[in-house]
Amino acid sequence: MRYKILTVDDSKTVRIIVRKAFKAFDCEILEAGNGVEGLAIAAKETPDLILLDVTMPVMDGVEMLTKLKSDPALKAIPVMMLTAEGGRDHVLKIAKIGVRDYLVKPFKEDVLIEKSGRIIDLKPLSEWPAKAKSIFDPATILIVEDKPAIIQQIQDGLRHTPWKVHGVVAQGEAIDFCARTPPDLIIVSLSLPEESAFALFRLVRTNIKTKYTPVFALVVKTETGQQQQAQTVGFSAIITKPIDLGELETKMAKAMNLDTSQRYYAFEGDSLIMRLPENCAPSVLAESANYLKPKFAEAVDAGTNKVVIDIQQLRSLHMGVIKLLFQAMQTCRELAMQFALVGNAHIISECKGFEDTRNWTFYDSLEDAKANLGKSPAAPQLATA
Amino acid sequence: MPATEEITETLIRDNITRAVSDVFKTMLGREVSLTSAGEVADDHTWPPLGNPAEAAKPHVVGTVGFLGDANGLVYLYLDLDFARMATCHLLGMNEAELEETGDEVINDAIGEITNMTVGSFKNGLCDAGYPCKLTIPSILRGSNFCIEPISSATRQIYHFNCAGHRVVADILMKVGE
Repeated sequence: MRYKILTVDDSKTVRIIVRKAFKAFDCEILEAGNGVEGLAIAAKETPDLILLDVTMPVMDGVEMLTKLKSDPALKAIPVMMLTAEGGRDHVLKIAKIGVRDYLVKPFKEDVLIEKSGRIIDLKPLSEWPAKAKSIFDPATILIVEDKPAIIQQIQDGLRHTPWKVHGVVAQGEAIDFCARTPPDLIIVSLSLPEESAFALFRLVRTNIKTKYTPVFALVVKTETGQQQQAQTVGFSAIITKPIDLGELETKMAKAMNLDTSQRYYAFEGDSLIMRLPENCAPSVLAESANYLKPKFAEAVDAGTNKVVIDIQQLRSLHMGVIKLLFQAMQTCRELAMQFALVGNAHIISECKGFEDTRNWTFYDSLEDAKANLGKSPAAPQLATA
Repeated sequence: MPATEEITETLIRDNITRAVSDVFKTMLGREVSLTSAGEVADDHTWPPLGNPAEAAKPHVVGTVGFLGDANGLVYLYLDLDFARMATCHLLGMNEAELEETGDEVINDAIGEITNMTVGSFKNGLCDAGYPCKLTIPSILRGSNFCIEPISSATRQIYHFNCAGHRVVADILMKVGE
């Protein structure tokens, strides 16, 4: 839902500042130069929030607010005063008419956003609206952990990624970091003293800039009580110590909604390469299978009808892998695509041991597979699924 | 109701210094320091900008009044170069964009800076027991001009340094009533 925010101020400068402040959020800014215009726009557009100045020509903010609150159709619209008119008595008098908040000028844009975010559920606009971020794009990760060795372990384990992993040891440092650079993902250790992990989680969720940032809880495997508490308050995921770094990376990519298809699919020349990694854990197979049909369809759409299924890196064959490969071959047949398999000696030998895979034909290298796909219109001999 | 003449110079100086500092720091990201202050004698020492070379520069002057238990006007003088710089910062524009939009944008921005400054100054008076309300801002532009108060007004002029630029707050207050 796109929120409508009405700014009523005789100063064009303030209206521009308000527009600028909300630029990064999914909302529409409506403008009025005085109370009369403000009431007319409020009646026509029914905004979700009104930012109201006091001193204006034609009709001032106090009169507009009074009229707004006496109109049954408009009185529910939340109003935040944004005015240079402060002073205790004045604020109290206006507050009695009915305002949700009062921001005295001069004001920081951050404060305006934070206060507005308490009234309406502001959502940041994606910086990449058309294209999802991929695993090859940089991301900022914040680890809040009082044990530097754990921070180091995660940093080392994620060193191969383009992610910048920052570590802090205390809640205060984490808040400062988030204010400076809102991270793409936060990992918080539940072992921080005095339950400050939960206090930090609440602060992160109330800050408009980090409201939707995934927050992982880091907890010792046997601490089931803490894990339950973390689940109840709404942590995005629970990571148990000792940390399985592969699993952590997969969960992080998923939580950041990254396009991980490039791990398994790549366009090389006139062929689509489907590549399986060394270890095909269930999460890896599920991730690869999710992208299979869309990627094959994308290839056909782009005029590519050749697929090389590369399992040279695979260490061992198991039923999950076989099922995924059958699914890939079946999709090729449905889309009239040619395909070839590339494998290592161990995998080829393992394939001979299964009834369904013993007739599969492999090439030794990607180049061979590509070259032969180009020459021959027929696919290698295949077993039926 | 307390009389305006009871408002001390210290209260005025403290309030205007706090107001100018708050507004310029919050809205323009600039530190401000008070360089000179004082009540202007009856012989009207003009211009308020001090030396003639400074007064000869083109200036943008914002003015906002306050009415109530304290009555007065504050003029805020910015030289044109600084007014342009402040407008760009406030609106997130560059010089070329400012050139395209024209002088009205500068007038509006300086009007708002003055509104915020006088608002903050006046809120201090309200909290000290002198409730009053703001008027709508207006703008004067030019060089080598002076504003003369009526005889029943007191006048205080405060010079501030803001990143090498001079900002002058000229405060006229009506005595008595």
